[in-house]
Amino acid sequence: MSTILTYISITDGKIKRSSLEVLSRCKELADQHGMESAALIISDNVSGAIDQLKKYGPSVLYTIEDPIFKNHLNTPLLRALSVAMEKISPKVLAFASTESSKDILGALAANQNAASLADVSEFELTDSGVKAKRPMMASKIISSVEATGSPVILTVRSGSYDLVEKTADTKVEDIPFSFSDNDLKMTLKEIVSATGDKVDLSEADTVVAAGRGVKDEVGRKLIDELASVLNAGIGASRALTEAGDYDPSLQIGQTGKVVSPQLYIAVGISGAIQHVAGITNSKIIVAINKDPDAPIFEIADYGLVGDLYKVLPPFIEELKKIKG
Amino acid sequence: MKFYVCIKQVPDVNAPLQIKDGQLIQDSDRNILNAYDASAVEEALVLQETHGGEVNVVLIGPEKAKETLRKALAMGADTGTHILTGGNEEYDSYSYAKILAAFFKDKEVDYILCGKQSQDTDAGLTGSMLAELLGLPYTTNAVGLSKEEEQLLVKRQGDAGQEMILLPSPGLVTCSNDMNDPRIPSLKGIMQSKRKPVESIPITDLDADVSPGSSKTKVTGYEEKPKREPGKKYEGEPEEIAKQVAQLLDTAENVI
Ligand SMILES: Cc1cc2nc3c(=O)[nH]c(=O)nc-3n(C[C@H](O)[C@H](O)[C@H](O)COP(=O)(O)OP(=O)(O)OC[C@H]3O[C@@H](n4cnc5c(N)ncnc54)[C@H](O)[C@@H]3O)c2cc1C
Ligand SMILES: Nc1ncnc2c1ncn2[C@@H]1O[C@H](COP(=O)(O)O)[C@@H](O)[C@H]1O
Repeated sequence: MSTILTYISITDGKIKRSSLEVLSRCKELADQHGMESAALIISDNVSGAIDQLKKYGPSVLYTIEDPIFKNHLNTPLLRALSVAMEKISPKVLAFASTESSKDILGALAANQNAASLADVSEFELTDSGVKAKRPMMASKIISSVEATGSPVILTVRSGSYDLVEKTADTKVEDIPFSFSDNDLKMTLKEIVSATGDKVDLSEADTVVAAGRGVKDEVGRKLIDELASVLNAGIGASRALTEAGDYDPSLQIGQTGKVVSPQLYIAVGISGAIQHVAGITNSKIIVAINKDPDAPIFEIADYGLVGDLYKVLPPFIEELKKIKG
Repeated sequence: MKFYVCIKQVPDVNAPLQIKDGQLIQDSDRNILNAYDASAVEEALVLQETHGGEVNVVLIGPEKAKETLRKALAMGADTGTHILTGGNEEYDSYSYAKILAAFFKDKEVDYILCGKQSQDTDAGLTGSMLAELLGLPYTTNAVGLSKEEEQLLVKRQGDAGQEMILLPSPGLVTCSNDMNDPRIPSLKGIMQSKRKPVESIPITDLDADVSPGSSKTKVTGYEEKPKREPGKKYEGEPEEIAKQVAQLLDTAENVI
């Protein structure tokens, strides 16, 4: 039986929700097409993930465990993926779109002489491969694309599919792997400003994002307070990540992350197309901006026209009341 | 260090666009140097200013795209190579990577820099494909480059934080626009660029199979993304509008 394989990405010991979204979709496709859904974990510690993954109904759970995978490094990951591809020969290999999967997608496709599609928002199987939709032109346009051959390798935008639990008899199979440090080809010296246990923006249900209108410590305090009342992830526009006020990993948009929360609150953000590219999948968008003509109001469900320094304190107060 | 920066001419996402007969129609006079590539050129120039070396740019595209090559030369790059296409081919990232691989095959290079993605398609594939085809070590999504012990120290924005990676030469790096603010060419730069060497190579001179049947992906159509309807604007006393919207988010939307 042919296989649809989902790569499961694990950061800091936690499975990315977006990987489970992709696994849910692949299981659905496998059932529709009489194929087998399999999952692949490549990690320094796979045991913690196994029980959680079984809930999404893969027939086989392949594991590759090696201390080298403690941190992301493309050389060993590519090696492990090609070992897995050789063993499993899937028709499709699907990843959640993350910085780590984007790092290797092109190289893996070239290595396997396979078709690749990056950052799709929908995908289907066809007789000859995969057809998919992907946003382009800073998400103004959705293109329909087709990839032919086997395997097709793709990455899927977070928030594209819902989690669906399915029971199955899952077989766990370890794939032998060894890697010598001499083959690394490069040296990872250190990882700075690790995001640690902070809310993962691409998975957050509520996101508060700060833009250039948030110009000082007082403003950043208000953002922190708002986020803490709502238990939200904090993001920022490029204006503020560039200025060094917020960590670059918090940038939302075309260069930064795509988010798909229930509630997105843009504070002092003008709504440039490259920022908007990252937020249009939000359910509710609230914008606070003192310029009534700011483009962000064209897409906001609730537009608060006013000085953020005057609007945020009573807004936070009211939210506290509602929450309390 | 000897740098080659791969640069692409792309449509400006801010320019008006139309979908007609299944094609995206945009005014090609609004085409620009891919923003991520502009950052790659800038970073190479900064490294050259402190450590010496060479900055060469290479572009695959039709005659019209020469203006983009000129722009990079006006920023300060030393030489340009224009791999000339007819303009109507439908190349995907893999095709571009194969063409670039054929070009670099017998070149001596320390580092190849690419943009992390094309600004119009956001594919983000060409760089790592090229590295694989050439057998080079690479890192993607670089937000900073510096020289350390004759190697490049790459600051990469990863999922778990910023990874500091020492990349030996020859190697390949794909660059984010978070790296720097690319310089605007000066008048002097523009004048000088006209005298800089540009080599044109017809694509047929390169040993790369990019015939129409060779590409494994194709775009079959475009549609406009449905626009979000603007909601309501609240103007007036900050206290009042803040209170009103907070309550609606709770009662009408149930999102808090
Ligand atoms: C290739 C490319 C990729 C990019 N990728 C991204 C990306 O991923 N993410 C991103 O964000 N940007 C990205 N950008 C940059 C983007 O084009 C904008 O420059 C950026 O989003 C602007 O940030 P901003 O809205 O915070 O700042 P501005 O555009 O300066 O807007 C600030 C807003 O704050 C309002 N304001 C000021 N003071 C107050 C106040 N006291 N109260 C209320 N409102 C106030 C102003 O009215 C204004 O609307 C990219 C650009 C390019 C070319
Ligand atoms: N036509 C081209 N000419 C030169 N470099 C290119 C070309 N197409 C892609 N590239 C390089 O690949 C990067 C984008 O890859 P991708 O997002 O896959 O299109 C660009 O930033 C360039 O560095």
